[in-house]
Amino acid sequence: MADLILRDLVKTYDKTQVLHGISLNVHDGEFVVFVGPSGCGKSTTLRLIAGLEDATSGDIEIGGRVVNNLEPKDRDIAMVFQNYAIYPHMTVRKNIGFGLRSSKKSREEKNKRNEEVADILDMTELLDRKPNQLSGGQRQRVAIGRAMVRDPAVFLFDEPLSNLDAQLRTQMRLEIKKLHQRVGSTIVFVTHDQVEAMTMADRIVIMKDGFIQQVGTPAEVYHKPANTFVARFIGAPSMNMLPGRVNGGAVKLHSGFDIDVGGKLDAGREVLVGVRPEDLHPNEEHAILEGDVSVCEPLGHETLIYVGTGGSEVIAKADGRVPPKVGERVRLSALPENLHVFDAKTGEALV
Amino acid sequence: MKLYRDLTIRQKHIVWAWAFLALPVVFYTVIRFYPTGNAILISFQDWNLLGSRTWTGLDNYIKLWNDPVFWQVFRNTFVYLLLGTPVSLVLSFIIAYHLDKLRFMHGFLRMLYFLPFMTSAVAMAWVWRWFYQPVPIGLFNNFLASIGIPQIEFLNSTTNALPSILAPAVWAGLGFQIIIFMAGLRAIPKSYYEAARIDGVSTWTVLWEITLPLLKPTIVFIVVFSSIGFLRIFDHVFNMTTNNPGGPLNSTKPLVLMIYQSAFDSFDMGYAAAQTVVLFLVLLVVSLIQLRLLRDR
Repeated sequence: MADLILRDLVKTYDKTQVLHGISLNVHDGEFVVFVGPSGCGKSTTLRLIAGLEDATSGDIEIGGRVVNNLEPKDRDIAMVFQNYAIYPHMTVRKNIGFGLRSSKKSREEKNKRNEEVADILDMTELLDRKPNQLSGGQRQRVAIGRAMVRDPAVFLFDEPLSNLDAQLRTQMRLEIKKLHQRVGSTIVFVTHDQVEAMTMADRIVIMKDGFIQQVGTPAEVYHKPANTFVARFIGAPSMNMLPGRVNGGAVKLHSGFDIDVGGKLDAGREVLVGVRPEDLHPNEEHAILEGDVSVCEPLGHETLIYVGTGGSEVIAKADGRVPPKVGERVRLSALPENLHVFDAKTGEALV
Repeated sequence: MKLYRDLTIRQKHIVWAWAFLALPVVFYTVIRFYPTGNAILISFQDWNLLGSRTWTGLDNYIKLWNDPVFWQVFRNTFVYLLLGTPVSLVLSFIIAYHLDKLRFMHGFLRMLYFLPFMTSAVAMAWVWRWFYQPVPIGLFNNFLASIGIPQIEFLNSTTNALPSILAPAVWAGLGFQIIIFMAGLRAIPKSYYEAARIDGVSTWTVLWEITLPLLKPTIVFIVVFSSIGFLRIFDHVFNMTTNNPGGPLNSTKPLVLMIYQSAFDSFDMGYAAAQTVVLFLVLLVVSLIQLRLLRDR
């Protein structure tokens, strides 16, 4: 168990810079999730931590040691790969044992450790099977087991759930979270799925184009997004963005309504007002938008409605039992504390 | 037409399947199965290509059993197989393994290794024959002479001739095997190696416990193919020992060359056919043994 510290990590391939100074402190026992669209540099960061690739500049520190010049095996880490990387010609026992191949422990100690891990992962009865006799979720557990026998300071997960079907993914998500609670080791987890990030993480690191956009707890990144990218990336469906201009203490939306956003803003500034679909409901009072319902998507307990408001379409949530009809004119309202204001040019959060 | 319409869908499928299969079926029957059957038939007869065939029963096989040349040839054929297959397998794996890691001039080097495979075996055999000549003609002996080592009788010695002929045969097949090995190596996911790196196992362990087991299907393919190739070796031997094919003293003669001589020098078709049947059985048994030994358990 140890802290993981990244300092100004930069990675360049030939002339393309893929990481632009990544700095992050991961505390002992913390579950940190890197999330972002493909090509944002999250996997590269993980591979740098693992030592599978060299950092162009910057430091990686694990448990108080700078590990930049150490081989992966000496970094006290273990990694779970997207395709599991378990060997098809070896039994589960041998696959798990492979993690301890180079360790100096005695044979008895190694066997004992294998049994322990198999027991924690609940696959003692699978030990003598070959990978092709296992289901996707079981293979995943073998891969995790191989990482666990090493008893590393930091676990690295590289999109480990993306090869599983939706139901199994939810289940494994829970299992990994429980495992973390039980074992208590530091985990760095990479995913492109924001739901995975929200549900599992102690802290989320949102990345885009090789820059960290925001670091925070799931609640922080959801309720206080640092910029429009984070605001749109976290939460489904995406946050609505309504263009407007600051006018006195309020924002005048291009669609005509005035919104009191509270807080001081420079007059005349172009802004984007963000409001999540789950905070936007059909309501006659305090309306901030008005438009015609173009599509309804019933989800049972609620209905998503797509409302055309002068050129742009916004998504709102309506009651599941008596939703508005397609073509109906609705007024939408949101509570002031659920509104987010961003600078229209830079995308930075203003309030 | 009405007859066809009244068929069930399954019967129509069968009709169409046979319609498409007709050409290959005809091809296989006329070009492959008929001659094979005929060869087996002739092996029980006496025939000189022109006269009438006479039934002789097992005479050809008894003659073969008692022919000392046949046993010499039989031994030679297996020496080609047992020397050629492992040597070419190990060589081609070593080259492919390192070529796979090399980026510099990769394509050019691969082409150089593949070139002999595309070259005519006859031309190659004659060039190598020239290499093996004594001083002052042969390349190798000239080189040996220049550094003061006595000459080696490559093709005129009963012990050296067979390996000397085998060498260019191995070299010629190497390119193909390297390409197959490289394709096999490429097919192994990179993450297997990355996981091994994180687990910190040695390069040697990675080679023996990951790379080679995962290459098993490739190895089976190459072993079976090159074994068949070495069991049927002919053109290299024939061209490098033209003055006395299979010589000196039958020390390089493989089964195929003996078949050729029995058939087209002695015109003893029945005897030649009996030898082909033996070769056929040898190929069959060797291939079956290899498939069984290397089968995935």
